[in-house]
Amino acid sequence: MSIFITSDTKVLVQGITGKEGSFWTGHMINLGTNVVCGVTPGKEGQQIEGRRVFNSVRRAVSEFDADASMIFVPPRFTKDAVFEALDSGIKKIVTIADGIPLHEMVQIRAAALSCGAMVIGGNTSGCISPEVAMMGMFPYWIERVYRKGSIGVMTRSGSLTNEVTAMVVRAGFGVSSLIGIGGDPVPGTRFAEMLPLYQNDSETEALVIIGELGGTMEEEVAEAMQQGIFTKPVVAFLGGRTAPKGKRMGHAGAIVTGGKGTVEGKIKALQQSGGVVADRPSKVGELLKEMLDNK
Amino acid sequence: MKLFEYQAKDIFRGAGIPVPRSEMARSVEDTVNAAEKTGFPCVLKSQVLQGGRGKAGLIQIVKNPEEVEKAASNLFARDVKLLLVEEAVSIKKELYLSVTVDPVRAKALIIASAEGGVEIEELAVNAPEKIFREEVDITAGLQSFQATDLAYRLSCDPIEAKQLIGILRRLYSVFAKYDAELVEINPLFITREGQLIAGDGKLIIDENSMNRQEGFERTREYYDSDMEFEAAKEGIPYLQFDGDISLMCAGAGLTTTVYDLINYEGGSVANYLEFGGPNYRKAVRAMELCLQNDSKVILVVTFGTIARADVMAEGIVDAIERLKPDRPIVVCIRGTNEEEAVKTLRNAGLEPLFDTEEAVRKAVQLCK
Repeated sequence: MSIFITSDTKVLVQGITGKEGSFWTGHMINLGTNVVCGVTPGKEGQQIEGRRVFNSVRRAVSEFDADASMIFVPPRFTKDAVFEALDSGIKKIVTIADGIPLHEMVQIRAAALSCGAMVIGGNTSGCISPEVAMMGMFPYWIERVYRKGSIGVMTRSGSLTNEVTAMVVRAGFGVSSLIGIGGDPVPGTRFAEMLPLYQNDSETEALVIIGELGGTMEEEVAEAMQQGIFTKPVVAFLGGRTAPKGKRMGHAGAIVTGGKGTVEGKIKALQQSGGVVADRPSKVGELLKEMLDNK
Repeated sequence: MKLFEYQAKDIFRGAGIPVPRSEMARSVEDTVNAAEKTGFPCVLKSQVLQGGRGKAGLIQIVKNPEEVEKAASNLFARDVKLLLVEEAVSIKKELYLSVTVDPVRAKALIIASAEGGVEIEELAVNAPEKIFREEVDITAGLQSFQATDLAYRLSCDPIEAKQLIGILRRLYSVFAKYDAELVEINPLFITREGQLIAGDGKLIIDENSMNRQEGFERTREYYDSDMEFEAAKEGIPYLQFDGDISLMCAGAGLTTTVYDLINYEGGSVANYLEFGGPNYRKAVRAMELCLQNDSKVILVVTFGTIARADVMAEGIVDAIERLKPDRPIVVCIRGTNEEEAVKTLRNAGLEPLFDTEEAVRKAVQLCK
């Protein structure tokens, strides 16, 4: 079983008639994702990739059960779209938008927490279980990156995902489930909140975490490892080790202030909890091998 | 977007938060006139965005016109463009107040301490019990009881506490209205006369909210260099360094990693530049920026998915044809439609690499 999304998950697509929405809906279906229908206000009656389009999520779920919503709407409409999905009782939501206002993202996460729902994103490509299903925008046809296997991948960065996952594949492994939690300062779901899913997934033997400077998400993972919430091998790669302090390099979520969120601090926390940290992407594969051989 | 102190204080004043009387000055003469208006002693505060202004000598207390002239000449000579000339208030005590976002709890977070001043970060480490935190539901906003409770934790004097309640509510309203990532008063003075007044003001507006905030134009003053300003106008993330290798990479995480790898290999970076994501058609403009540096090599590293490799390769070849760069270019372009990209690059006489670390090593070698 993959995590978050399986080939049985019934996926509704909000913003299905847009350029990206329709293009990636086609690819999601092509990979094996069970897309049941879509929503775009004012476009009810149309079909995209053979899926019916409705004016609202409420109208869509009156005819189709949906377990999950894939949201392809611009950042300024994202909060409303997420609230609309939550209103219809959908508990798994992926939103890719890059540029969601900070205070709205706080509201989105607060609403998800109070509904017991999981919102992944924004500023992400989404999540994929190779050869099974995906919610988001992944070129799963690039074999060098998206080969099926037993390594879970969690990432804050889209561009590094390809770089690091290619090294996992080069070392002879493949990916069970990859989840991009996104590069914003307030992601809808945090690394540590994904750990129980990977822990319970029989297909995942080890976990690769692609992090970066700033924030406290890697430290939270270390804490969960110490508490025994996650007990599988962890290999992390963290970008920004040599980044100058105070400069805003990379994602907005990655600013180093007041000694918190430094890469050194994250490395120490992960190592003290039994994780290993690769200093460059090419080391990730080697370290995985070592850890799995010694298990 | 980080605002200057004077802008933050204008906003505070407009919201009803007391700030010292002040004048703006752009020259030594201006400063002398401004100081006459505020009276002596007064404080000359350099309007620059960097932190630690006090320690850097960018804030000066002056007692008479001679001192004003001397201090102002000195500050303007240090590339300061603007001074805020403020009345010096008599200080009994310094407090700390800020509102920010707690990404874990998904709340707004008020942080306050009765022991303010510049050492607040050390206080957070050494005496965390002296720092009070109040979580605010960002949809409901700050409730009166929260402001009241927090105010009385900070001061048991009812006259001070009453002023604090007002300031807390107004500061929170600034946070909400301006989509703030951070709004901070450090220090918040209590004067010998018992008045509360904002000694400093910091306001950082969330970048993702800038399109719904009006009246903030990004001018040259907000950037450390001309190049950073030019890049910002194009929407290209750019940082200026003084090393040998110009980065032209795609994606924040990958670009940051390439930066790290160059340092590991003993090389140095001339500039950080991302032309991936929505910028992947801006290769010409990006290369132009790189060529304005004294770099020895341009290093292009991408692993594009949505931003296609073939489009990136075409962009690079187009940029080379138009700009005829005077320095070697190392290219490592991978991802969607990579085969097309390789053909395009080879046809243009470039030798594409496929491994980031190999490309970094080659670029570092070329600098030697």
